[in-house]
Amino acid sequence: MAEFSPGLEGVVAAETAVSEVDGEGGRLIYRGGYLIEDIVPVATYEETAYLLWHGELPTEKELAALRQQMAAARGLNRSARGTLGSMESATDPMDVLRTVVSAQGATRSLTKPSLDEAVALTAVFPTIVGAIARRRQGQEPVEPRVDLGHAANLLWMMEAKEPDPAKVHLVDTYLVLLADHGLNASTFAARVVASTGSDLTSCVVGAIAALKGPAHGGATLAARNMLDKIGSADNAERWLTDAHARKERFSGFGHRVYRTYDPRAKILREMAKTAAPELYKTAARTEEVALRILHEAHPDRPNATNVDFWASVVLTGAGVPKELFTTLFATSRVAGWTAHVLESMSDLRLIRPASRWIGPQPGKKPAQLAKR
Amino acid sequence: MTAGNSGYVPGLEGIVASQTAISMVDGQNGRLVYQGYVIADLAEQMSFEEVAFLLWEGRLPTRAELDALSLELAGHRALTQAANIALDALPSDTDPMDVLRSVVSVQGVEHRLARPTVPLAIHATASFPTILAMFYRRQLGLEPIQSRSDLGHAANYLYMMNGKESSPDIVQALNTYLVLLADHGMNASTFTARVIASTESDLTSALVGAIGALKGPAHGGAPSAVIEQLEVIGAAPDAETHMRDMRKRKDKFMGFGHRVYRVYDPRAKILKEMCRRMNPKFYALATRVEEIALRILHEEHPERPQSTNVEFYSAGVLQAIGLPKEYFTPTFAAARVAGWSAHVLEQAAHNRIIRPQSEYIGPEPRKPIPLAERA
Repeated sequence: MAEFSPGLEGVVAAETAVSEVDGEGGRLIYRGGYLIEDIVPVATYEETAYLLWHGELPTEKELAALRQQMAAARGLNRSARGTLGSMESATDPMDVLRTVVSAQGATRSLTKPSLDEAVALTAVFPTIVGAIARRRQGQEPVEPRVDLGHAANLLWMMEAKEPDPAKVHLVDTYLVLLADHGLNASTFAARVVASTGSDLTSCVVGAIAALKGPAHGGATLAARNMLDKIGSADNAERWLTDAHARKERFSGFGHRVYRTYDPRAKILREMAKTAAPELYKTAARTEEVALRILHEAHPDRPNATNVDFWASVVLTGAGVPKELFTTLFATSRVAGWTAHVLESMSDLRLIRPASRWIGPQPGKKPAQLAKR
Repeated sequence: MTAGNSGYVPGLEGIVASQTAISMVDGQNGRLVYQGYVIADLAEQMSFEEVAFLLWEGRLPTRAELDALSLELAGHRALTQAANIALDALPSDTDPMDVLRSVVSVQGVEHRLARPTVPLAIHATASFPTILAMFYRRQLGLEPIQSRSDLGHAANYLYMMNGKESSPDIVQALNTYLVLLADHGMNASTFTARVIASTESDLTSALVGAIGALKGPAHGGAPSAVIEQLEVIGAAPDAETHMRDMRKRKDKFMGFGHRVYRVYDPRAKILKEMCRRMNPKFYALATRVEEIALRILHEEHPERPQSTNVEFYSAGVLQAIGLPKEYFTPTFAAARVAGWSAHVLEQAAHNRIIRPQSEYIGPEPRKPIPLAERA
């Protein structure tokens, strides 16, 4: 039988043109062949989503049409509203997102994933995340605004006040940076669900479920929690040395694929300087010490700062409560998830791997209940 | 299996994604093994509760353990207030799989991340029949029925659906179905659950993802299609002519073919015999269609093993039990939740994030054009 590669590390599970993570070269390439650092200065989140779905950046006319379509799709339907209202406001935001997306996409009969559905699903995430934020503050959710772009509407719905352009820019750039990343666990979950011929909502719900894990999307919150514990630049050396001695993992460091500095982390690090100057100082010192300790412990391993580390600082600067970090990640990645599902439609094949049996020799006879 | 230069294997066919001691599908010999026991030795002798315990704990329960499990299941059949409200918020013509996905999601919400545990697996398993029965009755405009703690898992499901107790034969048939479908190696929904669990996410998240995968027609979503196709073929003047015409139109025969089995699916064998006893009308038509289908498929691809899969005779058994066909796939989920949760527990105990590679087939890097300059 074939080799068992734990975690499917190194196994090629899909061919894709949606994005490419070049771990050796430290490059992230989005569909169409664009490097992430080239996309950030020229494209908003809507343009990036269009690129991932269509394979090319939109013209002004195409972008206007997309923005209109998204603005029109921001409302929650009756099922989603009822489901949202059923949950306590202190519910884990990712659980609320998973449930409300599921209800919003509940239909009478199976539909094949389509681009229109991808647009509608992407458009509705800020509405749900905004409602979660408001409910957590004990406030009523506000209605989405059609005159705002995706990132601005997200901030409007979270804060119910005119969004600050500087913060809109931070959120928009964050959304562009996180929109896709090869065959990560949540995207892979979406593709496995899609491979059975299931609907787009089921794929996206499965992806949210995977993103929730601390080893995946939950890592941004973990990085911020670590920075909170460290508290200040002066305390970084002592805290990290102690944590290392306790064999505690440093949040925000290490990645399965990158062997050099994550290009997204590089951009976010630069943004963090002005976005959250105080937290930046703590984070920069933390990074310096953490990389030194990790390198001393494992000189053979590439120990680079990952995207979660600097994303946690930038999102803090944008005023996003840390409990909502993972839902922001989902709000970005839904463009990539749906692009991957749509791509897989052209050559759908059930993803059904094998397993290796490590249980008892087959054939023993079960004992009757009374004799056990 | 075709692998390109990159080693890409479509569908991960033949790639070992996990080590497991929960179940083994021995495709060459047509055996399904749960924790060392061959399915034929479990199907008609064990209750679903005993088999669920086996999948979770790795051994069959003693009498005292079984009693404790039955009590725990019975004590967790009720929906939370949130789940009740959410269930009522969904329109009554919603696909029951979408209802299950959404309400399982609400039923399992937490304020903070919880690690997968056996008690959580028991609670989730207990809730599936309640969700389905409550929604079914709402669709019919009927009042929901309270669960009965004196009834076993299969009997209580039917009681909550129908508002009356089913005969022992019917309960036994549903129990056997639930045992047969409780686990099946690294199928797509179980694999989805393990991918989700591998990120250290919670059990509910893994189950919700698995329901989404099971919904697909290439996985669990086809048993109702078997009935629909048989009805059409049965109404045709000549079954064989009709079926040959279907193939000319490239229509698929529902209920045939499987990635793993090279011989007759052992579950299909047991379900076929149950159909013979319980659903003679279905059996007469189904066996005739099966014979013709296997013949035609063999003519087309003599090299391929073309065997009847579990869905084909499942349809006849579930029909005989009296379940509406829209509830066939959800009932599959009510069985498989035992296996899904067992796999999640196993994944969590020996975890490594499942993060495969992809092969980039897009253009080489180039510079983007600013918006105003795009043609």
